[in-house]
Amino acid sequence: MDDHALILKHPLRVRMFHYILVISFLPLALTGLALFFKAFDEPAMNLVMRIHVVAGVVLTLGSLGFFVIAYDRVVLFIRRSFAVTVNDVKWFAVLGGYPQKFLLRKKVAVPPMGKYNSGQKLFGACMLTGGALLIATGWGLWGFPHLLPHGMAHAFGEIHLILGLFLTLFLCVHVFLGIYMFHDFKAMFLHGRIPYAEAREAAPLWVENELVALRKE
Amino acid sequence: MGKKDYQYMENPFQVTRREFLSITGAIAAFTALPAVWVRSRVTKRNNYLRARAAGLYLDDRNAKIRVSHGNPVVTKIYDEFAHAPLSEISEALFHTRYINRSKGIA
Repeated sequence: MDDHALILKHPLRVRMFHYILVISFLPLALTGLALFFKAFDEPAMNLVMRIHVVAGVVLTLGSLGFFVIAYDRVVLFIRRSFAVTVNDVKWFAVLGGYPQKFLLRKKVAVPPMGKYNSGQKLFGACMLTGGALLIATGWGLWGFPHLLPHGMAHAFGEIHLILGLFLTLFLCVHVFLGIYMFHDFKAMFLHGRIPYAEAREAAPLWVENELVALRKE
Repeated sequence: MGKKDYQYMENPFQVTRREFLSITGAIAAFTALPAVWVRSRVTKRNNYLRARAAGLYLDDRNAKIRVSHGNPVVTKIYDEFAHAPLSEISEALFHTRYINRSKGIA
């Protein structure tokens, strides 16, 4: 195998959806924090709330659009994110080797991973379920609070708050490690491709089991 | 940018038909069940509100005194004590002023 060969890791549809997530979820997280901490005076808070709502609508429409246009990718993502193997337990036992790498400058043996490592799988599962709940509760609180029983509206608010804070914290880890894996970062934001050698190092099971060659070298 | 820019891609047929249908079923169930639950709770709440409103309208229809100026106790107070609506003593005793207490609630 040619280590300089390139693999299409993130197809255009996925990259476009990721862009929609970036331009909607980041403003949602920031404005959500501002709303939670009541960071500004009243006119500014009104503007923050408007930005929060607009970004929420963008996130909803983007997610529904991706669900319709790229349903095969949604199914694939769910299968990958929710498939737990013994390798995931071993991966979490050493936390992917990242703390050892960052804190001790030591490389430890990490079990072979598929396209997503166990941390990414957990992040994906949390984002999928948590994101869906955030969208549903957000619409309930903003669009139809008058239709909801009082107790349910209160529960929606609590769920929205807790999941929002949890996913915002998780997002910080995702952004940090996303930039750290720079080949993957460039692939997601630019061209979708990663070098074969990089993929074989980070995702050997994916390279071994899920890839097809387009042409002979 | 085109297919010539890379030499490998994911096998597009890696999800079996059984897996595809199972995951679709799970998505449908996890979407439909909460929606049905929320709908049943909202319907139950609406039925309660309708019954309560119907009860209030029924009470109103059956009430002998339906307006404040037709209440003999109120007319007696004005006749014997407060003289007339908006009189000096009425203003002093029956009226109130707006006080913003919203800060205390937060």
